[in-house]
Amino acid sequence: MSALTITGLAAAIAFLVIFLILKIDKIKKMQAVVDKLKKSLEEMDEQAKLIVRTDIELNRTQEELDKKITGLYALQRLSRTIATTLEESQIFKTIDSSSFDDLGFEKAFAILWDEKENRFSVRLNIGIPGNEIEEHINSDKNTYLELMRSGKTFCSIATAQNPLLKEKIARFFKVNSFVISPILPKEGEKGLFFVGTENTDVAINEGDEELITILSNQIGQALENARLFEKTWHAQQELEKKVEERTRELTLALEEVKKINKRKTDFISSVSHELRTPLTSIKGYAAILIEEKLGHLPAAAKERMEKINRHSDELVHMVNDLLDIARIESGRQTMKMEEVRLKDIIYNAADIISIQCKNKDIELLTDIGEDIPSVSADRVQLERVFINLLGNAVKFTPEKGKITIKARSENGIIRVDIADTGIGIPVDSVSMLFEEFYRVDNDINQQVKGTGLGLSLVKHIVEAHQGKIWVESKPGKGSTFSFTIPAI
Amino acid sequence: MNIGVGLSTQREPVAAAREATRLAAINIHSSKVDLAIVFSSADLACAALLKTIHAALKSRVPIIGCSSAGIISNEGIFKHGLVVMLLDFPPNAYFNIACVKDIQRVGAFNAGKEMGDRLLHGFRNIHRDFSVIFSDGLMDEASNLISGLQEKLGRSFPLVGASASDNMQFLRTYIYFNEEVLTDSAVGILLGGKLSFGLGIKHGWKPLGKPRTITKGEGNIIQKIDGEPAAKIYEEYLACGLPQLQKEIRRISTLYPIGLYLPGEQEYLLRNVLSIEGNGSMRLQGNVVEGAAVRLMIGTKESCLNATLQAMNEAKKILFAPIVEMTKTEIKNFVFVFDSVSRYMLLRRDASRELEIIKEGFGRNTPIIGLYTYGEQAPLKAVSYQGQAHFHNQTIAILNIGG
Repeated sequence: MSALTITGLAAAIAFLVIFLILKIDKIKKMQAVVDKLKKSLEEMDEQAKLIVRTDIELNRTQEELDKKITGLYALQRLSRTIATTLEESQIFKTIDSSSFDDLGFEKAFAILWDEKENRFSVRLNIGIPGNEIEEHINSDKNTYLELMRSGKTFCSIATAQNPLLKEKIARFFKVNSFVISPILPKEGEKGLFFVGTENTDVAINEGDEELITILSNQIGQALENARLFEKTWHAQQELEKKVEERTRELTLALEEVKKINKRKTDFISSVSHELRTPLTSIKGYAAILIEEKLGHLPAAAKERMEKINRHSDELVHMVNDLLDIARIESGRQTMKMEEVRLKDIIYNAADIISIQCKNKDIELLTDIGEDIPSVSADRVQLERVFINLLGNAVKFTPEKGKITIKARSENGIIRVDIADTGIGIPVDSVSMLFEEFYRVDNDINQQVKGTGLGLSLVKHIVEAHQGKIWVESKPGKGSTFSFTIPAI
Repeated sequence: MNIGVGLSTQREPVAAAREATRLAAINIHSSKVDLAIVFSSADLACAALLKTIHAALKSRVPIIGCSSAGIISNEGIFKHGLVVMLLDFPPNAYFNIACVKDIQRVGAFNAGKEMGDRLLHGFRNIHRDFSVIFSDGLMDEASNLISGLQEKLGRSFPLVGASASDNMQFLRTYIYFNEEVLTDSAVGILLGGKLSFGLGIKHGWKPLGKPRTITKGEGNIIQKIDGEPAAKIYEEYLACGLPQLQKEIRRISTLYPIGLYLPGEQEYLLRNVLSIEGNGSMRLQGNVVEGAAVRLMIGTKESCLNATLQAMNEAKKILFAPIVEMTKTEIKNFVFVFDSVSRYMLLRRDASRELEIIKEGFGRNTPIIGLYTYGEQAPLKAVSYQGQAHFHNQTIAILNIGG
C-alpha cells in the first residue's frame, strides 16, 4: 500500500468523521427542534384540556342559568294562571304538565288535608296515578301531616334533613330528586305540593327548592283568595235573594194598599154621593124655614135654623172636596187642560184673598218673574190650589204679618212659593201634612173649623198637573209652601 | 307536488293527532294524499296517535316517522308536540316504503339488506332518486344498517337518515310505520321519478388537542388509543374518573364527541360514545377503522350556527341543477331538517336561531319539518368517498326535496 493511498484513506476517514460529527450535530439540533415541537404539542394539549374543562364548566353554568330562566318563566306563567283563578276546584286544573317539564320535573302532585274525613285527598297529579298517591300518603298520613305542619320545604338535596324519610319518598314515587312544600292558606284545608324527577343527570339545587316554595305559597294564596271570593259570592247571592224576596213582599203589600185605597176612594165617593142628596134637602128646607116662607119662626128657632144652614154649607163643602179628591185619585176627574197665564191666576187669587188680608192687616206681596211662561192647566183647579194655600196662609198668620207669592221659571219648570210669617208647622207634622183629614194640632185649628182635606186636595191637583208640592217651615217663623208645574 | 303541514302541541295523543292532521289536510289544498310523515315527542308515541291520523285522513295513507326529543316546524321548535306532513306527489314521481323489525336479532347489516330489498320492490324500471330512512336511535350498529342498505341500493346511492330520539333520557326511541309504533326497527322510503333534491350536512365542531391514533378497535368499539385504554382520552381532558365518566358519557360525548379524520373532507366525522366498559374501551354510535387518526372535538354556538348556514346553502344549491327538466316556478319544494340533539344542547335558548337561518334561506313559505336526532345518515362530499353515505353525529342534515 503506497503512502499516497494511506494518506488518501486517512483523508477520507477524516472527512467521514467530520461529516459524521456534523451529521450528529444536525441530528441533535433536529432532535432539539422535535423535542421543542413535542413540548409545544404537549403544552397545547394541556391548554386544550384547560379549554375543555372551562368549556364544560361554562356549559354547566349555562345549563343551570337556562334552567333557572325557564323555571322563572314557568313560575311566572303558573302564578299568573293561578292568581287569576277564583274557583278553588279550577286552581289545580289550570296547572298543566308543560310548566313542570320546563322546571325539569316530570312528576308532580298536590294533596289537601280533609279534616272531616281525616285523610288527604289528591287535587293534582302529573306522572303518578292519583289513587297510588292517595293510598300511600294516607297509609302514612302522620308523616305527611307533620311535613305539612312544619311549614318548611323538604328537599332531597338538603343533607341535614331526615334521610330515612327522603329515601322513603324517593323510593315510593320513583324519583331521584324531589321537593315537597306545604300549602298553607290562612283558612280552610291545608296541604302539600310535590315535584320530582327520575332523571339522574339533572341534579336539583337550592334554586329549585326556592321556586317550588314560592309556587306552593302562591297556590296557598290562590286557595285563600278563591275561598274568600266564594264566601263573598255566597253572601252576595244570599243578599240578592233576600232583596228579591223583600221586593216581592213589598210589591204584594203595595198592591194590597192600592186595592185598599181604591176601596176607600170608592167608599168615600159613594158615601159622599149618598150624603149630598139628603144634605141638599136639609139645606133647601132650612132655607125655606129661615126665609119664613112657611110662617114666622121664633128668634131662638131661627137662630138654630141658621146654624143648621151654616153647618150644612160646611158639610156640602166637605163632601164636595171629598168627592173631588176621590175623583182625582180614581182618575175619573180629568183635568180640562188649556193654555193658562199663571200671572192672571195669581193676581186673581190675590184679589180674592186680599179682603181677608186687609181684615187681619196682613201685607200681601207678589213677586212674579217677568219671563213666566204660560202653563197647560185646568184653570179652575189651579185657582183652587192658590185659594187653598193662600187661605191657609192667612189663617195661620197673625195680624200685621206678611204673605209673599213668588213665581220663577227654570229649565221649563215653574216654581211657585207661598211664604207666610205665620206660626209655622211642628217638625213631626210636616210629613203628614198632605194626608187626608190630617190637621195640625195647634190653637188656631182648635178654634177655626176645617175639614183636613184642603192640602190633600191641593196635592192631588198639583200631581195631576205632573207637578210636585212640598213645605218648608220653622215653628214660630213661618212656612213656605212650594209647588212646581211644567211650563208649555 | 302538494304539501300540507299541521302542528299540534296538545298533550293528549288523540287530540294532538286530530288537530295536526286536520291542519295538514287544510294546508295541502288537494284531495289526494299519498304519504304522511309524522314526527312527535316521545310522550305522544302510541298506536292511538297513528290510528287517529289514519282515521282523520279517511283512507289508509302510508305513514312513516319517528319519535324525537323535539320537533321542528315553520312555527318553531317544540319539546312536546306532533307534526304531520301530508304529501301529494306529482304523477311522474314514485315512492315505496319499507320497514325492518327486530334489528338486534337479525343483525343490523342483514336488516339493512332486507330493507333495501323491500324498498326496491316494484322499482325495477324506474329511475331511483334517493332514499330517506328513520331508525331506532339507541341501536349499536347504525353504520352497519347503512352498509346493508347500500349493498342493495348501491354504494353511492344518495341516502339520508335520522335516528329517532326520546326526551334525552336515552331509554327508548320509537319508529312509526303505518299504525305500528316500533322499537329496535327502521323504516325507509325510496323516491324516484322526476323528483329532485339538495342536501347539506355540516356540524361545525372543531378538533382540540393533539392528534391520536386508534391502535385497537373494530366495528363500533375503540379499545385502545395510542396504546392506552380508549376512555383515557376523556379522563385526561375532563379530569374525571372512570366511574363518573361511565355515568355521564352520553351527555358528555354529545358536547365533546370523538372526531375521525377523513382525508379530503372539510370536517371530521363525529362519533358519540354510547358507553364505556370497565376496561376503558368505548362503544360508539357509528363504526371506526383501526389506525384512523382521532381527536377530541369541541363546538361553539357560533361555529354551530355557521355550519347551519353552510348546510342550508349547500341544500339549496343542488336542487335546481340543470338535470331537472322543469322550470323553477313549477317546482314546489319542502325541507327535512335532521338536527342532532347535541346541537340543541349546545345552542339551548339559541336553538331557534338555527331554525331562523333555515327559514330565511329557503323562504318563509317553504314547508319545513324536522326533528332532533341521536344520529344522522348522509353521504360524504369528498370525491374519494364517491358519495357514499356514512353515519354522523352532531350534524345538521338539511334535505331539500322538490318536484
